[in-house]
Amino acid sequence: MNALLSAEGISKSFGTTPVLSGISLSIAAGEPVGLFGPNGSGKTTLVNILSGLLPPDAGTVRFDGKEITRLPLDARYRLGIARTFQIPQPYPALSVNEAVHVALVQRRDAAPAAEAPTEELLGRTGLFNQRFVPCARLSQGCLRRLEFARALACRPKLLILDEIFSALSAADEGDLMALLRAANRDEGAAFLLVSHNPPLLKSLCRRILVLEEGRIVRVKAL
Amino acid sequence: MSRRGNLPPGPLAARFRGGWPAAGIGLLLLFPLSSPDVFFLDVFTTGFLLAAFAASWDVVGGVSGQITLGHALPFGAAAYACALLTTLAGWPLPLAVAAAILLAAAVGTGIGALSARLAGPFVALLTLALGEIAHEAAVGNTFFSGPEGYAWGGEGGIPMTLPWRDALPFLSYYAALVFLCLSSFGMLRFSHSGAGLILRAVAGSPITAQASGVPIARFKRLAFAVGSAFAGAAGAGFVIHMGRATATDLSLELSFQAATFAAVGGRGTIVGPVVAALVLHVLFQGMSLSPSTRVLLYSMTLLVTLRFFPGGVVGTARDLASRLGGKEGTRAPGGRVRNRDGSRTP
Repeated sequence: MNALLSAEGISKSFGTTPVLSGISLSIAAGEPVGLFGPNGSGKTTLVNILSGLLPPDAGTVRFDGKEITRLPLDARYRLGIARTFQIPQPYPALSVNEAVHVALVQRRDAAPAAEAPTEELLGRTGLFNQRFVPCARLSQGCLRRLEFARALACRPKLLILDEIFSALSAADEGDLMALLRAANRDEGAAFLLVSHNPPLLKSLCRRILVLEEGRIVRVKAL
Repeated sequence: MSRRGNLPPGPLAARFRGGWPAAGIGLLLLFPLSSPDVFFLDVFTTGFLLAAFAASWDVVGGVSGQITLGHALPFGAAAYACALLTTLAGWPLPLAVAAAILLAAAVGTGIGALSARLAGPFVALLTLALGEIAHEAAVGNTFFSGPEGYAWGGEGGIPMTLPWRDALPFLSYYAALVFLCLSSFGMLRFSHSGAGLILRAVAGSPITAQASGVPIARFKRLAFAVGSAFAGAAGAGFVIHMGRATATDLSLELSFQAATFAAVGGRGTIVGPVVAALVLHVLFQGMSLSPSTRVLLYSMTLLVTLRFFPGGVVGTARDLASRLGGKEGTRAPGGRVRNRDGSRTP
């Protein structure tokens, strides 16, 4: 199977502390992959490197056959890699529809007037009734939905989801799981889902990478 | 940013949305007809130009969240360019003004490029340093030495060569008022455009904006370029009105004044800084206070605003109107207001 995203020999240190040591992984188009590991194992650092927020000290990242190791976050978004943050950082002065609109107009095939897709996306993610609410006033569950809507706005080939299911009610978790399954099934979006919750990873992913002390120690096929 | 720009305005705010500015402009149009003292016409004329300058600060510091303490740099650069091009190079005034505005935009683009990778207080420090370098260079140098030479700084400065001798005070007044209206309209349009929305996103959360595909360095440069172009236009107007460019046009005091007007009026609202600049300038200048007393009063006004009305006058008024009036309309992407019946108000 051709890899959509591949990383070879990724290493990263902060000062003298090594965080990632020679990580190699690949994700095929449309493949749902989980990333599991204890706190401090380097999950978020790996996600930051794969999404373009941090450059690696060594190693290469390729996407769709192109090397993207030094490409920043915004350029990777326009290629079709969308990520969410473990702690959402919403725009305090923008409403929900404005926040989604900002992401929509930046995508590869953005139309000049992206209002209809904004409403469609807000409807899909259950945010339509909150569309005029300032992001700063959203509940944790709605913030996670907004993060997901923002990520879906780029018609992603790959979603990188950092702890998107943490601190959610059972209802919100169920809704987000359904949304993620639909994005994977209907739009063929691959995803790398970071989570501390093995049952959740098992129910959503076909493969789970286990990270410990900066190394992938196990790959579990489901 | 504490502004509530995307919250629905209440009925009171909605009813007077366009009425307040129209009423204000009407009063200002009628003011010269009351045969005021020439001194007051001059105070208002300067106030209009400073109000446009304050609004241009708001494009950078309010809408885009890039707190600049060197905004006098494009203002002063345009003022000097205008004076030098008309007096020394003999350029016609319109051409000199156009070149001065372009220079100010280029200066802004340069500042934006230098500050693109910085955030928060570091942008303020960088712009402060750049502004002070330009100001000190202007204060400490004499251009064309000799008894007939021009002085960059001090009392001398560079005189303007204008196609007219003495402009009638009321003509200057109306020209400055027209300039303020046109430039404020342009800045409002920009802040409510698609680019303005993205700049507000960058101001609110740069990392989320970048994760949404926004090339933030490019948009920061755009904010500085647009804000500086308008500051340059105000600087050109100022030097035409004052008759000469001096080092004061590059001073930190001027940048501080603009930032104060924006904070008092309501950051990111454009209209708020314009109103605050007009009221405060006319009040303090009209009382013929000394420059040091004016700086003291500006500083105290800023302190009171930050402590008790962090959203500024417009932000606080919007909060109040929203609480009193409840929900009437809601804002769609790009700043349009959608009413409950589905109709849209631009």
